[in-house]
Amino acid sequence: MLAAFTEKQRIPFPLLSDIDSEVIRRYGILNTQIKPDDGFFYGIPFPGAYVTDGDGRVIAKFFHDTYKIRDSAELLIDAALGRVTLAEGAPKAASPDGDVKVSAVLHGGQGTLRQGIRRSVVVRFELGDGLHIYGEPVPGGMVATTVAVTGPPGLVVEQAILPPTKPLVLAGMDVTLQVWSGTVDIVVPIYPTSELASEVRPLDSNNATIEVAVRYQACDSDACLLPQSARFALTVPIDVTEVPAIDVHMGHGQREGAYDGNPHFKRLIARKSKKLEDWMKTDG
Amino acid sequence: MSLNRDEFGFDAPVPLGHPIRSGLPDGQSTGPEIGDRLPDFVLPDASGTDIAFHADRGTAKAVLLFYRSAVW
Repeated sequence: MLAAFTEKQRIPFPLLSDIDSEVIRRYGILNTQIKPDDGFFYGIPFPGAYVTDGDGRVIAKFFHDTYKIRDSAELLIDAALGRVTLAEGAPKAASPDGDVKVSAVLHGGQGTLRQGIRRSVVVRFELGDGLHIYGEPVPGGMVATTVAVTGPPGLVVEQAILPPTKPLVLAGMDVTLQVWSGTVDIVVPIYPTSELASEVRPLDSNNATIEVAVRYQACDSDACLLPQSARFALTVPIDVTEVPAIDVHMGHGQREGAYDGNPHFKRLIARKSKKLEDWMKTDG
Repeated sequence: MSLNRDEFGFDAPVPLGHPIRSGLPDGQSTGPEIGDRLPDFVLPDASGTDIAFHADRGTAKAVLLFYRSAVW
């Protein structure tokens, strides 16, 4: 039935079938909280993703304490490419400020929020030639770059992910500064919990306003501009969850799958029950 | 509905405590770590064709994603 799913969902990458969870076990990610006689769902993994380099070595991993948090494809792609690629039409607020442009973008998933889907607010600085902004630690009197993101109740905001700084030693100074220059992306992962968007009831609200407060100070090798504060507000649509068209998920106001999943579900349960019977006979 | 909401703030159409809602226990490993080469494997795709992971990947970067079900 992967063929039906692939076709109906228009999935352009291979979906592989690990029928007996052999690869899941080999990778060490079998969900061992589930016992064989708990039911048809025995054998599922702890869900997550690995991103590899060209040699097949892991460069990033995305696993979470709860299976309800899933990473936006854009986060996986950014990890693979080693840079943030912002979509043209993403919700964005910008303050054009001459030598320093600052913008805040809701990155991923065509700019919508859905239960448990981990997207990010990206604060992008575009610094003119010769200018830099500061990471910690900053000497007294200087202002480090900070980003604070707040949203409605139910929006979880994770700690900002800062790119690596470069050390800068100014002539005549005895201190090493940590700086960023050029285009600098600060990534703040966010996701809604069910308080904001729940898969068991229609949405309470169709939009969320996310506030982004940025503070920074730009300098060149001779002089510093005054520290700046910028505030942005992004109003983004909240979307329902996509659920398979099987009875347990239907009628909750979510976006139900394009084809009747019940026959597939029944076949799966039958196949797994038969397997369990066989397993119990041979294992004793 | 809040009766069904777990400690992470998520709802599901299944009672709390059901094993299908289980997550990662503390200290649980999540498999290969950063720097490890992913173990190779051969599995059939949706058309039944066997795919050998590293051979199929060639020299390209890859995302390998494990999910729970395409059915439920």
